Amino acid sequence: MTEECPSSERHGERDSQLSAMFDGELTAAECELLARRLSRDEALRAQWSRFALIGAALRSERGVILHERVAWRVQSAIAQEPSYGDASGAEGTNANTPRVPAQATPGASQSAQSPRWMRFARPAFGAGIAAGVAAVSILWLRTQEGPETMLAAAPASESITLTPEPASITVAQTTTPAVANEPAIGGTGEPERYSTPAPSSQASFAPPAHLANYVVAHSEYSGPLARRMALLGIVSNEVQPEAADAPRSEPAEKKPATGVRGAP
Amino acid sequence: MRSTIARFAMASLLVGAGMALAAEPQEWLERMNKALTTRNYVGVFTHVRGTRAETMRIIHRVRGRDVSERLLSLDGSGNEFIREGDELTCYYPDKRSVLVERRAPDGPLLGALPAIDDGSTLLYEIQGGERQRLLGRTTRLVSLNPRDEYRYGYRLWIDEQTSMPLKTQLCDKSGAVIEQILFSSIDLPERIPDSMFKPLVDASEYRWLRADRALVSNASPALWEAMRLPPGFRMTTRSSQAMPGSKEPVEHLVFTDGIASVSVFVEPRKPDTKPSEGPARWGSSSAFSTVVDDHQVTAIGEVPPNTVEFIANQVKATSKATQGLGLAPAPRRK
Repeated sequence: MTEECPSSERHGERDSQLSAMFDGELTAAECELLARRLSRDEALRAQWSRFALIGAALRSERGVILHERVAWRVQSAIAQEPSYGDASGAEGTNANTPRVPAQATPGASQSAQSPRWMRFARPAFGAGIAAGVAAVSILWLRTQEGPETMLAAAPASESITLTPEPASITVAQTTTPAVANEPAIGGTGEPERYSTPAPSSQASFAPPAHLANYVVAHSEYSGPLARRMALLGIVSNEVQPEAADAPRSEPAEKKPATGVRGAP
Repeated sequence: MRSTIARFAMASLLVGAGMALAAEPQEWLERMNKALTTRNYVGVFTHVRGTRAETMRIIHRVRGRDVSERLLSLDGSGNEFIREGDELTCYYPDKRSVLVERRAPDGPLLGALPAIDDGSTLLYEIQGGERQRLLGRTTRLVSLNPRDEYRYGYRLWIDEQTSMPLKTQLCDKSGAVIEQILFSSIDLPERIPDSMFKPLVDASEYRWLRADRALVSNASPALWEAMRLPPGFRMTTRSSQAMPGSKEPVEHLVFTDGIASVSVFVEPRKPDTKPSEGPARWGSSSAFSTVVDDHQVTAIGEVPPNTVEFIANQVKATSKATQGLGLAPAPRRK
């Protein structure tokens, strides 16, 4: 069993392996080995979370275009991570000189990294989902009946690595409704994605709540998958009353939602 | 219309052969539905829709007949949705509001839930079942491609071992992805403690809106009906229920094509508010509201906007309703 090796060469190899694992190009045995390493190596785990979400972005057929403010957050997050490329990388100008995370290659020049990295470096905004918005971890699928699963060797307490809970929630309960829309999240000071003002009147809360009631009532009659999708809308607070928001582009939709015209 | 009929006729002819081919992917869909409804799981996923990407956590617990579920946004609104037994609680930190409702204990009748059957293959092309590696796991890719524009399709990467969908894409008829869910972690613990169903927020200072969504009648008289429906949709249930925000019982009609479902809600128009009219969207749910005979009619479902608009515009009062409108006293109104 190999212990942690700080050498850049070894790290480069593992990066490559991570990438291959994510692409489904690694054999089951290699996956298992790498998974064991993941469970012990926090830096590598962080690396993996990026891969996971970069891959998510890449695999989206239409690509992932981030909301402008989200992109801003992402850029901030990337800027705080010199290991992952500077802000200009978000413009794609540095796509030819992708950087390798510092935690994976401390002190070593990695300009000759494998082209795999370039694949992940190109959609810098997509990568931003990983670095800034998401908070995620490794894929960890532990089943009670599957000791032979690829990651089962690691203790359960390490199975999920999440970022701290959003600070906005605690901010929201101590601030007045007027400022509750703009809490910082994660202590980075960037603006939150709240797009609806916090209303104090029953009237302005009523239309979305009313529709939410319908969604909830309807969801009980949906199949499990459709139900999940429907409830996501509630949690995302995605109702789109045009009157309350600045115009938003919805390129995925042919027909922009106009919102229910109802109470002001 | 003729081409639609021709397509369905063609689909009918091919259904025998199609069924044989679709048997395996259909089986994967059934396994997935079973896993989603019967297993305990704790997962983190990224939900991408259009220009928005949000990380969420889901906790799902089945204990005997009790199902608890918690869905929370980790980096967005901070909204939380917690269902424990019959009680649903929605926390809206940015609105400093909590919506609590207790639904009727019986819940929906089993027959009212969509179920994939032979007819589904007339409406959807169910393909796939082949192995695909995803996130280091072996999955089965199953596609449900809608045969017309009245429903959405799905592409699912179903974990071979657990039958959990690791990746889900909601697609339109052309195959364009509307939204997708990608799990980055899933844990399937044997037990999930009650503490995992506590909200993150201290909502004691929030505005609490409570209501019991009691079922007034599970077989209400046919006061409202849809004159025509999109191909493949049929009404599965009608009920009358008290809902939060509505003083009078709301008529609830449910239509399904076996995979997608649409609800129509009909309630007397509130005199002190403007009527809601036109389309709306909430996540992947489309809604369309209109006013018929001084009643607010809203169709909502995980279908394209044209489907809910079609159905809402077809809802009419039956003769019983028109008599009732003048005669029947409203339950809580004088």
